[in-house]
Amino acid sequence: MKGSTRARLEGLAILLVAGGYLWEAHNVPDLFQMPGVPGPTTFPYLLGIIFALTGLWLLISPADLLARRRQPAAKERAEKPPAPAASLSARLAAQWHFYAMWIVIVGYLALMPSVGFPVATFVLLAVFTFLLGEKRWWLVGSLALVVTVVIHLGFGKGLNVRLPLGVFESLLK
Amino acid sequence: MFEHLLNGFGVALQPMNLLIALVGCLVGTLIGVLPGLGPTATLAMLIPLVFSMPPATAMILLTSVYYGSMYGGSTTSILVNIPGESASVITCKDGNQMARQGRAGPALVIAAVGSFIAGTFAVLVLTLVGAPVAGYALNFGPPEFFALMVFGLCTVASLTGSDIVKSVVTTCLGLMIATVGIDLVSGAPRFTFGNPFLQDGIDFVVVAIGMFAFTEVVVTAMEVRAGTRAEVIKAERIWLTWEEFKYSLASIGRGTVFGFIVGMLPGAGATLSTFIAYNLEKRICKNPERLGTGDIRGVANPEAANNAASGASLVPLLTLGIPGGGATAVMLGALMMLDITPGPLLFEKHGAMVWALIASMYVGNTLLLILNWPLVNVFARVMSVPAKYLMPIVLVISTIGVWSLSYSSVDLLLAAGAGLLGYYLRRNKYPIEPLILGLILGGRMEQAYRQALIISKGSNLIFFTKPISLTLLIGAVLFLFLPALLARAKQFQAARAVSAGAA
Repeated sequence: MKGSTRARLEGLAILLVAGGYLWEAHNVPDLFQMPGVPGPTTFPYLLGIIFALTGLWLLISPADLLARRRQPAAKERAEKPPAPAASLSARLAAQWHFYAMWIVIVGYLALMPSVGFPVATFVLLAVFTFLLGEKRWWLVGSLALVVTVVIHLGFGKGLNVRLPLGVFESLLK
Repeated sequence: MFEHLLNGFGVALQPMNLLIALVGCLVGTLIGVLPGLGPTATLAMLIPLVFSMPPATAMILLTSVYYGSMYGGSTTSILVNIPGESASVITCKDGNQMARQGRAGPALVIAAVGSFIAGTFAVLVLTLVGAPVAGYALNFGPPEFFALMVFGLCTVASLTGSDIVKSVVTTCLGLMIATVGIDLVSGAPRFTFGNPFLQDGIDFVVVAIGMFAFTEVVVTAMEVRAGTRAEVIKAERIWLTWEEFKYSLASIGRGTVFGFIVGMLPGAGATLSTFIAYNLEKRICKNPERLGTGDIRGVANPEAANNAASGASLVPLLTLGIPGGGATAVMLGALMMLDITPGPLLFEKHGAMVWALIASMYVGNTLLLILNWPLVNVFARVMSVPAKYLMPIVLVISTIGVWSLSYSSVDLLLAAGAGLLGYYLRRNKYPIEPLILGLILGGRMEQAYRQALIISKGSNLIFFTKPISLTLLIGAVLFLFLPALLARAKQFQAARAVSAGAA
């Protein structure tokens, strides 16, 4: 994606977020607003407006427009025809490790409380180490197991952090 | 003052605190050595652990980790040509050249000695000016504090990003996230969408871990996959000759002074100070052409600057409550979580803690010198731990850091969201530090703003009628726009020179 197009899309997203933020600020009940005293919406309105202005700036991209106005013909001549964009499937295939890493991280954060720390952490460590290029399954498995046990004992017993047992909890019951 | 400092030493030298300082220095140095895990992420990860500690002990741990990481960063710069953290980028130039010429030992020793001298100087100045600056800041009312926070945010936004608009975007985003939750003045729920978990607001640790730790794990993981690991050079002679020390002493002195001055500015931080000090060194020193070719002064100067700046950044943090960058912003958050509000009253209300912290910095500096000198090859060996085993562990420990805050799955989901957003911001050159700073300062800034408006009966002119607040606001605007205007002026001059040449 071209830099200016990306900036415009970002500007649009920022404007939408600012609009939503200002709308939510507007919806704060009036009963919290005392006359003559800056209430709970005063500061959010100020922030929302500044945020919207930055979004508008990125959307318009005046610097980009000025540059185009100064040298429109020369720039058009110099511009080469855009390279054919890679298809979505091609990009996914090239960067699948990256997407897989984020899916694993988000999945771990979303499921850890219900699945339990031991199982979720073992799976995370095994899958992540594999994604980072370690193909020896016995090493991946044993490392994930040892690290899970050490961290669970260190934080759970040593530092009294209440780590969810998840499926193990029901098994123990 | 010296009586307070002696009492501080009494606390800092207690066996438990001494042990904590030693552990902090070791952990910090290891983190500094490991490329990919910065001091900000580590401090954020440590915050849940310091909850149960007394404030002085907690701050001793955090500052010793911070200092240690600054020391450790130079080791990778010299031995592998990979900066452990951004403040060591400049050290790579001469440090790695020296290592390639078989002089890794003197490079590492001068980095440790320079850091020690600069660090001690910074703490000495903090000892002398801390309380007077805080005393002066007692004259500040709500308008001045609001203007001060605007100044701090603007300097951070201006100095951490390459595009002002993007910096303002992330600053606003941080301030907006800070408004989520129950309004403490009126009791109104704001931006909670009916979710009771959001009524307490969004903890900055959740956002900081998501944006720094998770993104750093993914970025490092992608680098590991790309196979960009360099060869580690072993240091043979870990010693420094008297001639080498004499040759670099003036550079250490200049680096210390410039580093300290730049580091005092909110937002400037250690990284910028090293670049400025090194560039000034090139203009001032004898035989500047030698710099960049393996000259020992090219290591001594930026290392002194980075440690002086690290100490200097604690001056605005402790006296005004304005952090200098990401790491000190996290420290500010930690202090606030320990129910201590940094600012002018800190020296009065929590004097024992502050002086213990300052004393512990003297101790920490000495410990770091003792540790770094003989153990440098041991630290360097840590780098041979493959990142493919280390990064997943960092991920799990970061998750525990978020979970242990309130045992809430909402926090974990918010951290995931912060991680994804942080990665996008980082990839597209949106600076993250202003967002974290905005999130931390947001509550206090809104409070000061509303108090000022109550005093002025709703008129925003109050910020422009008070001399201090007006000066700070003008400074903020200058900091925000001057770099861009100067860059434009340079471009314009260059274009004019080209067109004149063509004519």
